[in-house]
Order: sequence, then C-alpha cells, then structure tokens
Amino acid sequence: MRRMNLVLLLILTLGFSMSSCSVQTGMMSIHTREIDLIVKMNQGDYWNTLKMGAEVAAKEFNVKLNFLASDHEDDITGQIELVNQSIHNRPDAIILAASDYMGLAQVTDRVAYDNIPVISIDSEVGSARVKTYVGTNNYEAGQLAAERMVQLIEGKGQIAVMNFVQAARNANQREEGFLDYVARYPDIKVVDIQYSQSNQRYAEELTRSWLVQYPNLAGIVALNAESSIGVGREVQRSGKGGKVNVIAFDSPPETMEFLQEGIVQALVLQNPFNNGYLAVQYAVEIIEGHKVPDRIDTGIKLIDLDNMLWPENQKLLFPFVK
Amino acid sequence: MKNFKSIQFIITTSFILITVASVFIVSFMLYNKFSSTAEKNADLNIQQVVEQVNYNLEIYVKNMTSIFEVAQDLIHKSPTVSNPILVEQLKSIMKTREDLISIALFTKQGDLVFNIPELPMRKNTRLERQSWFESAVERPDTLSFSPPHIQNLFKNSYKWAVSISRQAAYREGASFPEGVLVVDMNFKTIDELSKQVVFGKKGYIYIIDSFGNIVYHPQQQLIHAGLKYEDLERVLTYSFGSFQDDSNGESKLITIKTVDPIGWKVVGVAYKDEILTTKTELNTFIFWFLVIIILFVLLLSIVVSARISLPIQNLAKSVKSVGEGDFKVPITRNGIYEVDQLSSRFNMMLRQIRQLMDQIIVEQEAKRKSELDVLQAQINPHFLYNTLNSVIRLAERGETEEVVTAITSLSRFFRISLSKGKNIISVEEEIEHVRHYLIIQKIRYKRKFQYVIDIEDEVLEYVTMKLILQPLVENAIVHGIEMMPEEGMIRIYVGIVDDKLMFQISDNGLGMSPQVLQRILTRDSKSEDGSGVGVKNVHQRIQLYFGHAYGLQFESELEEGTTVRIWLPLVRQAKEGE
Repeated sequence: MRRMNLVLLLILTLGFSMSSCSVQTGMMSIHTREIDLIVKMNQGDYWNTLKMGAEVAAKEFNVKLNFLASDHEDDITGQIELVNQSIHNRPDAIILAASDYMGLAQVTDRVAYDNIPVISIDSEVGSARVKTYVGTNNYEAGQLAAERMVQLIEGKGQIAVMNFVQAARNANQREEGFLDYVARYPDIKVVDIQYSQSNQRYAEELTRSWLVQYPNLAGIVALNAESSIGVGREVQRSGKGGKVNVIAFDSPPETMEFLQEGIVQALVLQNPFNNGYLAVQYAVEIIEGHKVPDRIDTGIKLIDLDNMLWPENQKLLFPFVK
Repeated sequence: MKNFKSIQFIITTSFILITVASVFIVSFMLYNKFSSTAEKNADLNIQQVVEQVNYNLEIYVKNMTSIFEVAQDLIHKSPTVSNPILVEQLKSIMKTREDLISIALFTKQGDLVFNIPELPMRKNTRLERQSWFESAVERPDTLSFSPPHIQNLFKNSYKWAVSISRQAAYREGASFPEGVLVVDMNFKTIDELSKQVVFGKKGYIYIIDSFGNIVYHPQQQLIHAGLKYEDLERVLTYSFGSFQDDSNGESKLITIKTVDPIGWKVVGVAYKDEILTTKTELNTFIFWFLVIIILFVLLLSIVVSARISLPIQNLAKSVKSVGEGDFKVPITRNGIYEVDQLSSRFNMMLRQIRQLMDQIIVEQEAKRKSELDVLQAQINPHFLYNTLNSVIRLAERGETEEVVTAITSLSRFFRISLSKGKNIISVEEEIEHVRHYLIIQKIRYKRKFQYVIDIEDEVLEYVTMKLILQPLVENAIVHGIEMMPEEGMIRIYVGIVDDKLMFQISDNGLGMSPQVLQRILTRDSKSEDGSGVGVKNVHQRIQLYFGHAYGLQFESELEEGTTVRIWLPLVRQAKEGE
C-alpha cells in the first residue's frame, strides 16, 4: 500500500512539475521591456521616420518605447537633461542620438555606470561604454556627396558647406569626408562652412548671404535634412536653380520636389527607418544578453533624377505606402 | 521487496500496464486522426480565406476596369476634352471613389492633355519611361495594371499608386488622336480587403503583382527597408496551390491564388505552429487525459486489489496464527465469496480440531483417572480386610484346608492384580484372577452360589485388559445373587464372536429394571468389595483403549438374571521376554 502511494506521489509530482514548466515559459514572453529613445530633435521627417522604424520594432519585439527629444537640435543641455531623466526612470536600455559628441560623453558614461546599456544611433558619442552604433557611415556619406559635387561642377569652382551642429559627431564626420575628398581638387575652393543648427529659416538666411557674397558659387552641399530644405528654398527663390548645384541630405517630400524641379541635383539618402528599427532590435538583443556587432552600418545611397524612380530606390525614398 | 509476488502488486501493475498501454495506443491513434484532420481543416480554411480575398480582389479589379471604361467612354463621346460636362462627370467619379488618386490623359508623346484633379505637372517626371505608359503604347488594346510605384506626375504629395492605363481616342477639333489614359489608384481598398485577414496571431496574407512587386504586405515598410523578406521566387512559380516553407526555422504554409486577369497573386502565410493549435491543445489534452486515467486506474487498482487481497491476507494471517498454535480465535469472515467460503470451511475445520483436542484432553484425563483407579484397586484394603476376616473365621473354626485355599487364592489374586504394573495381561491370567476371586467370594458367602467357567481354547493366545472381569462378577454377586433366597449361578464364558474377543458373565440373580440398566454404564459406582473398580470404569477403560466399537453390553430381566458381555479386540499375546 505504501509503495503504491509512493508511485502515486511520483506521478503527481511529475505532472505538476511539467505543468509548472509550461507556466514558466509562458511568463517569459509576457515580459515587456522598456527602452528610451533619445534623439536630437522632436520634429523633421528624418526623425519621424526613424521614430516610426523604432516603433515598428518596438511592437514586434514587445517593447515599451519612450521617444524623447528637445525642440532644437542644438539644445545640448536639454538633451543631457533628458538623458539624466531617463537614467532616473531606469529603462532596460537607452538609444541615444547625441547632439554633441563630447557634450553627451559624461552623461553617457553615467548611463553605463548605472548598468543601463546604451546604444548610439545616427551620431556617435564620445564614450567607450556604448554597446553599439547603428547608423550611417557619415564619413563615407560626406565623400559620396563630394564625389557627385565634383562631377557636377566638373572639378572647379567655389563651394559652400551648410553643416548643422558644430559639435555633433555625424556633422563633423560628413564635413570631414566631404572636405577630404574635395581637397584633392586644387581648383575647387570651399569658401565657407556654416552651421544651420538644423533650423530651416537660419539655413535660408545663410544661403541668401552666400548667394550675395559669392555670385559665382558653383555648389552648395547641405549636410542634413533641415539644412537641405533651407538651402533648397533659398536657391529656388533666388532663381538660381540649376546654376548653383545643390547636394542635399535625406529625402523629405520637399527635398524630393526640389530634386524633381532641378533645384537639388542629388541627395544622399540615409536609412532612418532602418536606423530606428535596428537600434531597437539590437537593444533587445543586448538586453537578452546576446553579443552584437560594434557598428551596424545601415547604408547610404546617392539619389538623382535618373535613379529616383528605380523600384528599389522608390522603396527607400518612400518607405510608407499610406 | 518479496511483495513483488503479492496479489495486490500483480493486480495493480497489470491493471496499470494494460490500461496505460491501451490508453496510449488509443490516444496515439486518436491523436494521429485528429491532428491530420485538424491539419486538413486548417489547410482548407486557409485556402478558403485566400480564395475569398482573391475573389474580392477580382471583383475590385473588375470595378476598377469598369470605372476606367466609363471614363474612356465619356472622353470618347465628349466633343472636346476641355468640355466642362466631361470634367464635371470625371470629377464626380473621383469624388465617389476614395481609392482614386487621379485620372489623366496624355498624348502618345507624353504631353499632358488634361488631368483630374487639375494639378500642375511636375518637371522631370520621365513618364514616357514609366511602365504604365510604355505598356499602353506597346499594347494599345490591353488594359494594363502597373506595378506599385510612386506617382510623381502632379504637384501633390508623393503617393504610392497602381496605374491602370490603355490607349484612348479623344476628340481634338476635327481630328481624333489616340492618347494614353491613366487612372491612378491607391491601396486603400486593397489594404482594407487584406488587412483583416489573419491566420492565428502571426499569419497574414500579402499580394504581389506578376513580377513579384509587393502590392500589399502587412509589414510593407520592413520589406521596403530590406529588413524583411518573402521568398517571392518560389511563390512566383505557382499560379495556385500551396507549399510548405521551412526556411528561417519556422514552418510556414504558403497558399497562393492568382487574381484573374491581371496576374496578381494573393499569398497566404500561415504559421504551422499556430494553425495547428488544435494539435498542441490535443497534446496537452491527451497528456492530462493520460495522467488522470493513470491516477484513476492506480486508485481503482489499489482499491480492487486491496479488496481482493486483504481478505486473503487476513486469512493467511489467521492461518499463520493457527499454525503457531492458536485455535481459539475464529477467522473473521469478510470480503469476496471465494475467500468467504474458504474462511468458513477453515473455521469449520478449526472448530473440529478444537473439539477433537478438547476430546483428547477429556479422554486423557479419564484414562489417567481410570488408570489411577485400577492402580488403587490393585491393593484394595477393604477387600483384603474382608477376606482376611473370613480367613480368621475359618481359622477359628479350624477349617485349615479352607484357610489354605483362601490364602492361596488371595495371594494369587493380588499377584495378578499387580502383575508388574502391566495393564494388558493374557486372557488366561485374567480368568485366573477372576477364578481366585470367585474362590474367595465363595468361601466368604458360604457357598451361596455356584460358578462355571467355560473357555474356548483359541482365546488363550490373546490378551485382555486386566481387572475387567472381577468388577462384573462382583456386581453379579452383590446385586444379583446376594439378595437371592436360593443358590445363585454364575457362568463365565470366553470365546471369539464376530472376530472379537468376548467375555460373557451371566447370573440368574435378581436382574435389573430397564431404568437401572440404562444408567448402569453412566453411574459412578465403586465396588467396595474387590478391585474397587466400578462397572463404568471397566467400560470406560475399554473404550479409551480400544475405541467405541468395544466395551460392555448388558442384558437383564427382572427375576431372570443378568448377562454382561465384554467385547474386546483380538490382540495376540506378545512373545515372552518382550
């Protein structure tokens, strides 16, 4: 009799342990992770597309995503404050597009010190504690822009560079790439480098003064979306479209229009949707303890009138069907 | 672990084994049957859904075609393309359809004739190189549906569109040139048709055109961004049907249907693990079913085997205690019929044993007692005293001869009484013993009686129990002859009758009434004069030694006399020296 009870007990425990196993595995998938996405600015097509990419990934990987950004891209203290707040909220990971390479370095170290994994997106930050960087190879992007500019102006003439934020890593790298490339052409002269602070108005003003100051200006390169729109608007207004070659960055509809109207000759297309998506995807992998590559290059493309309607480019230029 | 052979263990294990095996087999068969049916049903279900979407899409394509034809017809009939009535009609068509972006007519050179809504053209549209324009020019009579593309013609937001195009004639003054009519539609309706379709949580459908361009996909952005892929190459080889896709580590069921006539394909993607939830549900069900059945059978078999084996165990325990010598406690009767029967028979047996044992004890006691009596009788002081008194009287009277006879007989009498403590003596000795007794008694009773002893020669080789004749002779003298007025007669005969040794003592005395006769063998009388052994004692002794087949037998009649027969077995005399 006692032996029978033992067998009974054994079967019961077996059954229960099996059922409890299945309960435990069930619990795992319910768990929601929280990720803070801190970018440079809370407006603009580039950031919106990036945010949408992040949101798609968040939905797919069961992540609660907090999108944080200041009103202006040059608001470095504001961004530092956002990171501090984020540390206070203790998310599972922070994705940061640093407005200032060195300015955000200290606070990024603090994030890592608090055992919150940090992922760099779009522009790097001066901290060795960052787990990975997801974004464009900005130096190459600058070179790509320069290469086309050199072709357009046939290797000679005056060029102005419309950069955006002086201390931002991606801005510096693009500028560096661009300048390094054109430096090989002695007949090309970079007459001025200005910073629009990612403000379209300010970019327009700067362009206006360039057009006045350098009547023979052969080309302008605008190194981000906001700068590009400002430059495009001013060139169109001045009626110098086609005479002043413009290389733009990113593909908001307005820039696309400039491209079709012949104001902008080419644009460097980044992949903000992928940046956002992949940053969240890799953040989840880091949280789960997987190893991820140090850099994830989401690629760049030079778009002009000839290739803008290629099916694969259409898909990149207009990722949203609706 | 010796209990492995116990009934309980055997029943329980065989019960469980049989049940589990049969339940396993049945569940396995049921599982296979159910899961294949479930799979079939799921496949069928997906096919039906895909067919439904396909059907809806065909209707939608037909609708769009008829809209295009209406527009073409209106343009064809209109006197001029700038006719306000035509514009009004086309605008009203546009208004009723949310899925229309624009209607536009181009010359075959790619110049705009008119467009609705009336938006300015963009520069650098390169429309002559766009597929909808090319196919309209190349195949003038075929209505073509373009792959999804960005509509870049008019100054409006950039929109994804499918362009429906064909050559169309329009009036221009007197001439009747051919142009290219294009109707752009967005994906609103197609999205709505496809969006609700889900298979499980992850399954979905997508739509591609005949070249593999994605028309609709729930994750179109990810596909466009190159973050997700569909295995379009394989899908494009099918016009309808389904296949299983095991790439990416997940088993998917891909179902394909082609939309007539434009060659788009509706592709259903269902994840096997999800559509076969019935299978996993079945799995868990069968698992718990098994667990419950096993538990149930376990309990049942424990109960059943306990019910069977417990009475047997009790029986075994009782038998064991009986084996250890405890005959008193009867087995408690319970449980099943067979064991009950067994217990009852066993109890009966036990009772008999107990009775026999009691009997043995009683008999042993009686034997001891009678032996003690005989032992006492061997030297009966009363008899000695009486006899010696008689001898004294004889001596006083000077009857020397009589005295000698009496003393001699007394001596002989006692010698045989003692006979070295033996119980069994020869018939001859017993006769000798009673003869001496009779001699003494005859002297004592002054020849009040005569006696005859008649012995068959053949009996002499047999033995008898000692001191059996004397008490009966004493009885005959005291009760039969003493009170008689005339002379009595005692006859003793010894012979073999019916293979038994028979002593017969008959007297012609007073006899006994039947009542006395009845009690004679039970009455506890004790002879005063002689062996001191009663009639009852004789009877008991014989029966104790030789069994109930032997003993005393009385026949008596008042005033006629009494005959007593002693029956003994024939036992030969042992050889001397034994």
